[in-house]
Amino acid sequence: MQGTLDMLILKTVALEPLHGYGVGLRIEQISKGVFRINAGSLFPAFRRLERQGLIKGEWRATENNRHAKYYMLTDEGRKKLKTEAREWQTQSVAIARILEATSGEL
Amino acid sequence: MGLIKVIGGGLRALFRKQQAERELDEELLAYVESAVEQKMQAGMSREEAVRKARLETGSLEALKEDVRDVGWEAAIESFVQDVRYGIRMLRKNPAFTGIAMLALALGIGANTAMFSVIEAVLLRPLPYSNPNELVRVASTWQRGGITTPYSSSPPDFFDWRDQNRSFSSMFAYRTSEYALTGHGEAKRVRAVMATAGIFSTLQAHPALGREFLTEENRKGADHVVVLSYGLWQAEFAGAADAIGRTIEFDSEPYTIVGVMPAEFRFPLPGSDAYVPIGFDNKVMTQRGAHYLQVLGRLKRGISVAQADDDLGRIMAELRRLYPDKDGKWGVRAEHWSSALVGEIRPALLVLLGAVGLVTLIACANISNLLLARATVRHRELAMRRALGAGRSRLVRQMLTEGLLLALLAGVVSLLLAHWALVSIVSFGPKDIPRLASVGLNGAVLWFTLSVSIASALLFGLMPALRSSASDVSGLLRGSASSSREAGRARGALLIGEVALSMMLLTGAGLLVRSFIGLRSQSPGFDPTRVLTLDVSVPDAHYKNSLALQSYWEEALARLRGLPGVTSVALVTPLPLSGDDFSSSFSVEGKSVPEKDEPSAELRAATPDYFRTMAIPLRQGRTFTDADRQGAARVLLISENAARMFFPGGDAIAQRIKFGARGGYEKNEGEIVGIVGDVHHFGVDAPVPPTFYVPLFQSGIGGATVVIRAQALPTLEQPARNLVQSIDRDALVGEPVPLEALVSGSLGQRRFYMMLLGAFAALALILAAIGLYGVISYSVAQRTQEIGVRVALGATHKQVLSMIMGQGLRFAAMGLAIGQLMAMMLNRALKGLLVGVSTADPATLVVTAAALLIVAALACYVPARRAARVDPIVALRLD
Repeated sequence: MQGTLDMLILKTVALEPLHGYGVGLRIEQISKGVFRINAGSLFPAFRRLERQGLIKGEWRATENNRHAKYYMLTDEGRKKLKTEAREWQTQSVAIARILEATSGEL
Repeated sequence: MGLIKVIGGGLRALFRKQQAERELDEELLAYVESAVEQKMQAGMSREEAVRKARLETGSLEALKEDVRDVGWEAAIESFVQDVRYGIRMLRKNPAFTGIAMLALALGIGANTAMFSVIEAVLLRPLPYSNPNELVRVASTWQRGGITTPYSSSPPDFFDWRDQNRSFSSMFAYRTSEYALTGHGEAKRVRAVMATAGIFSTLQAHPALGREFLTEENRKGADHVVVLSYGLWQAEFAGAADAIGRTIEFDSEPYTIVGVMPAEFRFPLPGSDAYVPIGFDNKVMTQRGAHYLQVLGRLKRGISVAQADDDLGRIMAELRRLYPDKDGKWGVRAEHWSSALVGEIRPALLVLLGAVGLVTLIACANISNLLLARATVRHRELAMRRALGAGRSRLVRQMLTEGLLLALLAGVVSLLLAHWALVSIVSFGPKDIPRLASVGLNGAVLWFTLSVSIASALLFGLMPALRSSASDVSGLLRGSASSSREAGRARGALLIGEVALSMMLLTGAGLLVRSFIGLRSQSPGFDPTRVLTLDVSVPDAHYKNSLALQSYWEEALARLRGLPGVTSVALVTPLPLSGDDFSSSFSVEGKSVPEKDEPSAELRAATPDYFRTMAIPLRQGRTFTDADRQGAARVLLISENAARMFFPGGDAIAQRIKFGARGGYEKNEGEIVGIVGDVHHFGVDAPVPPTFYVPLFQSGIGGATVVIRAQALPTLEQPARNLVQSIDRDALVGEPVPLEALVSGSLGQRRFYMMLLGAFAALALILAAIGLYGVISYSVAQRTQEIGVRVALGATHKQVLSMIMGQGLRFAAMGLAIGQLMAMMLNRALKGLLVGVSTADPATLVVTAAALLIVAALACYVPARRAARVDPIVALRLD
């Protein structure tokens, strides 16, 4: 689910600028290990979001004093995240309702 | 997301490629390092952490490939790469490239040539503004259950024009010829005689002067003319003061009122002059005189079907009002563009279908070559996959190679098509409208480009998918199962190729057989060593029939004096000339209502006509010199007319009256003889019942001289000059051997036969190349096996027959399938065949034999190579 991954990445870097490995780690941590994103999905997604102007990268030093590219949200990305999140909310509520439906309601 | 941003990002990436690559490397390095650090913090040793991290990230090269694929510039980049790689591969295998390109160029070239013909004849809009609104209106005549369009009579035309609600304007015309006289020898002028609506209906207006007016469509006021640009230039050197001056046609002065623009042509391919038809006071009584062509322009938003209904309603009323004259006539409106190509369209479409099959065969051929090459290339492909190229990437790359090949072939095919078109224009029949205007124009180039791309997909997709499909390890090992599968695919393609070419061959065979049948059919006369010469004399010079008769008699006598001439006669209209004259008639003593009167073709001839043409006399006598002005009127009738109208065998001595009513010239007389039937409309057309009257009893000023001689070529110009010298204002046509008319009447059939024959030959060659390729390849692959067989005692003959058998099995299967398909599809040919059934056994046998012989030859060459395999060399291979 490419759209979902994009949204997760947008949300993660919205909290604070993160480098590639950091994004993967953060998603894994917040989702309590449910989502493990491998590098093969992560980097094409970065490139895609960057090209769409939703995130931008900046080279910074890591806490271990290494050189790494940090990704952060652009204004456009912020807008996109807002609409995506709202849509996701409505959809998931709807899906949940369908799944919880009993035969009486049908 | 803004488009500009997408494009900008891509362009930046293209130009800052190296920097982007470096950054990506660095970023991935940082990622892996972070992963390692993380794992070491979790308590792993460094080695273990590194190993784990590597495993988790997978192949970095593949990953980078995926990242690069994001964005449009990646597609272009890889395309450029593929093109470069493709060019290298094509250059590395010149033999493959050459054969594949030639096969494909032949296929596409044939397609391009055929499409050019269709574009010029069927698709190109007529050269008038809003040509889709132009409609041909024709009277229709029921003949043997078939409704045939026919020319219309003036009163019917006036009623249609004045009562319809569907046309914004309508005009009637007929084509004619004038002698341009007044200075020097008479020159032929192609003229259109029309009603005043002609130019407004065609939406074309004189560049100079005016159109003609409605009141000029009246006898006495009709000597005005609108010149074509060409005639204006030739006769008046483009002088603007030509308007108001006169020009002499048939020794009568015509006042020039206008000049059409240079690009105006009507009817196609064009005329020299446009004059008003001069109707006389009796015109409204001539409802039975059908001699006008009618064109109309539809009102906005009216369809042809609506117009057809509208006219049908008017015609029903006319039938009620004039049962005698209009009782059996109908009317039909049809788009002019389709009326022009009526019977030509289906024939050309069949040929386009055939040429499509040729292209299909060429594609199958190249698919086969590519499949063969894929087995050679599988190691290279497997290596590229192992190194991280995705399957779609490999498919794309192979398709690009195919596309290169196809585009190259497309360029070569244009050359081939150009040559083909040059010969089509010079050898093609003259009666296919606009055939002479074929050329490789923009529409054709687009078509060729599309066919090239489509064929690249067609022949490239299967081999590309197949050779990139199998798993990497299988590919690297060159697994047996995958090569067996490839063998099956190649076999199926080959059988398909043979089947398609068998189908085309059968179709071509049927056309050839039908044509040979028509060629050997006698036209009813002997055309060898007979020369024809159209002569028409100006009415103004010969005030009565006696003066005319002495002119003709002098011409005949002087021609008879030419060396080598055995007999000379006059006839009008000449068989196969395209002209005809028919009339209804009544038999004296048998009264029938006028509308039920039978009709027959009417010819006027001089006594020697039957001897000159070698038309046999069956009963009674032919004309003699005594059958002239003032003598008792006599008639001859054709055999089929005698059978049809006098089934009791009592034709001789019956009295006939032609056109007794209506406005025609009167002809009557007693039947004195019965002569053989003549194919007036072509040997492939039904023979019309025909009546002959003595030419000198009918006062005709235009006829064709027919001359039988010992040798024609030396006679042609002297005969023409001699006739011209008697009256320099007479219009004397170019001498045409009668044999040329006979073969010209089969021109379209010959054209279709030659095209389909050429396509079938091409198909056969391609199938042979395919067969040769497959068998050669299989021999090369089986060299070792064959070596073992020879070592174990197999004789040359056994090896030869084993390999030949393999090839001929494919051919036989293709042949059987092809003949089945031919029987189903040859229904499309039905309209093109005369006297041959679509399941003609002789054709099926002969074409099958031809195919098998070619197949055997194609297999024999590689089979002989196999039979010569030296076991020692073969076993040492690998």
